[in-house]
Amino acid sequence: MATSGTAVSLSNVRKTYRIGEPVHALDGVSLEVPQGSYTAIMGPSGSGKSTLMNLVGCLDTPTEGTVVVGGREVETLSDRERTRLRGTEVGFVFQTFNLMPRLNAVENVALPQLFQNVGRSERRERARDLLERVGLADRADHLPNELSGGQRQRVALARALVNDPAIVLADEPSGNLDTDTESDILDLFDEFHGGGTTMLVVTHERHVAERADRIIHLLDGKIERIEDLKESGESRAGPTTDRGSGREGRRNGGGDAE
Amino acid sequence: MNPLESLRLAWRSIRGHRLRSALTTLGIVIGIAAVITFVTLGASLQAGVIGDISPDDQRNVYGWAAEPDTEGGPLAGAQPVFTPDDLAAVEDLESVEAAYGYATIQTQAISNGEEQVAQGNGLIASGPSYIREERLVEGRQFEMGEREAVINPAAAGQFEENVSVGDELTVTILGGQETTLEVVGITDTSEGLSPFEGFESSPRVYVPTDPYYAEQAVGLGFGGDDESNGDGGAESDGNESVTNESAGNGNGGDGDDTSSDARFLAIIVEAESADQSDIDAARESATDYLESDASDASEFLGDDLEVQLQTSTELLGQLQDVLDLLRNFIVGIAAISLLVGSIGIANIMLVSVTERTREIGIMKAVGAQNRDVLGLFLTESVILGVIGAILGTGLGLVGGYLGAQYVDLPLVYPLEYVAIAIAVGILVGVLAGLYPAWRAARTDPIDALRYE
Repeated sequence: MATSGTAVSLSNVRKTYRIGEPVHALDGVSLEVPQGSYTAIMGPSGSGKSTLMNLVGCLDTPTEGTVVVGGREVETLSDRERTRLRGTEVGFVFQTFNLMPRLNAVENVALPQLFQNVGRSERRERARDLLERVGLADRADHLPNELSGGQRQRVALARALVNDPAIVLADEPSGNLDTDTESDILDLFDEFHGGGTTMLVVTHERHVAERADRIIHLLDGKIERIEDLKESGESRAGPTTDRGSGREGRRNGGGDAE
Repeated sequence: MNPLESLRLAWRSIRGHRLRSALTTLGIVIGIAAVITFVTLGASLQAGVIGDISPDDQRNVYGWAAEPDTEGGPLAGAQPVFTPDDLAAVEDLESVEAAYGYATIQTQAISNGEEQVAQGNGLIASGPSYIREERLVEGRQFEMGEREAVINPAAAGQFEENVSVGDELTVTILGGQETTLEVVGITDTSEGLSPFEGFESSPRVYVPTDPYYAEQAVGLGFGGDDESNGDGGAESDGNESVTNESAGNGNGGDGDDTSSDARFLAIIVEAESADQSDIDAARESATDYLESDASDASEFLGDDLEVQLQTSTELLGQLQDVLDLLRNFIVGIAAISLLVGSIGIANIMLVSVTERTREIGIMKAVGAQNRDVLGLFLTESVILGVIGAILGTGLGLVGGYLGAQYVDLPLVYPLEYVAIAIAVGILVGVLAGLYPAWRAARTDPIDALRYE
């Protein structure tokens, strides 16, 4: 687990993609995510949200700067160590659920432990326990296509938690859900956050972001501002959501500003 | 990830596409089944052939005159060059125990009293010791110059009433002439006694070359034998229609110039023992004599023909070479089917990798190492290969069984080939799965998760 109360920290991180012209998807971002915190990241398309997610999720390494996850510097690790770190310290919740279609709920939840060589019976026990906590004990043997969207996302949340990670990364977790189901899932997030889980949620939607302790606004690869909702002292004015619609154009435009 | 878990997951995805997996496996099934069937038949044939050489046969050297380099089995390209004089002279050679001619006499039918059965190649003419004592279950060897015969169980059993020693049979020769013979012995097997006959089971009647072949040679215009001691005709009370000059028949040992015109296609030389040195000595001296000017055979040999004298083992070796060639050819074709099968596996695995890009991304996101993904896909293709190999082996063994039944061979399963087949199945699975699995393993999880 993380040392000194920090689950994830980024310092001066820059990520440059070279597709013809170099594009700075992230341009000098520094950020601390304390243990047990609930952080939301907002920003228009092309602002660098996905890149930030990939870096924090140990799926990618920064071009410059350091990313520390669970007390380890990601860019210094070998591919294998990075995969291991991802498996043990990061839990993913995706917009499209991303469950394995041929595995039932229990097996999906237990999947991350499979790759950490946890024994079969121990895995099942842990998975059933988590399914119970997300309220799906009676759906444990169902395949994903036999579950509703909300149920699938709950399975995904249980899977994200199975290895007891340093941080849970949720990428538009309610993007494919209707309003009622969305609030159910967000309530679950709150519940686990209350239990000490560190949450990092990327979203377009203000009301989703407002569940967090603070909102980090990204724009053109930089942190535009940080909104602290706990103390609610921050200004609530300004353009915060849904700026622009051209994804690529936005991203390229942002990249030119160096 | 431990191998058992890979196996479980891989099996899950194979079962997810039953039809596709079954069709993919079919190529391997057919390939392996073909190989196993033909190898089984080959081994059975070999066992059937080799199993028939009794130790005593090992003393025999089989000879015929043919153009050098004639391909084929025993008697391929043989020309009738050996006269009875040659045989007598060879028999007199120091290292030779016995020498006699060998010929088959084409027949139409054999009758036992009133009952007649059709028989195409019924009479095998040779010397008395061709039927070895220990092969007789009843009676004795025939004697040269007598109208006697030894028959095999298949020949004895083809009449309503089994033929036994002492019975008299009437044989209709191809030309229509009839001749009689007295059964003096019955052998223990219906299979051939030498490579000249072939080894399949069929009714066979063994008779002395004299008088039977000598008569035939006359009939076919090879020569004449009007030398007659008249003793043989006395017993043949039932054969009114026995033809022309051979009604009474000669003892044949007189070696006069007329009988020397009955020439034999084949000669069997018996060495003093089955020792290689004795066999070589008999072979050498017989060859030397036959190729020398002293022999009657030499006048035909010239530059074109060459006397070949070989033991049954050597002859079988040649036969075996032909069989092996044939088998290798068919196994080669089957191997092509295997190759096609493995390309099928590779193809399906590539499709599968593309199709499951997102799943690969998920697995990598939740901590699957490259080697886990590699192992998973490799396991999947190995399972396909092994299932193909197992089903193919089963099918091949059944095929081999049916084939051996059909050709009437003793069934011998080459078990080492079953092991090889399974190994090949694994190998094919690994080779066919290697590239697709490698592609799967190096999939970038970021791209894979974005993949629609």
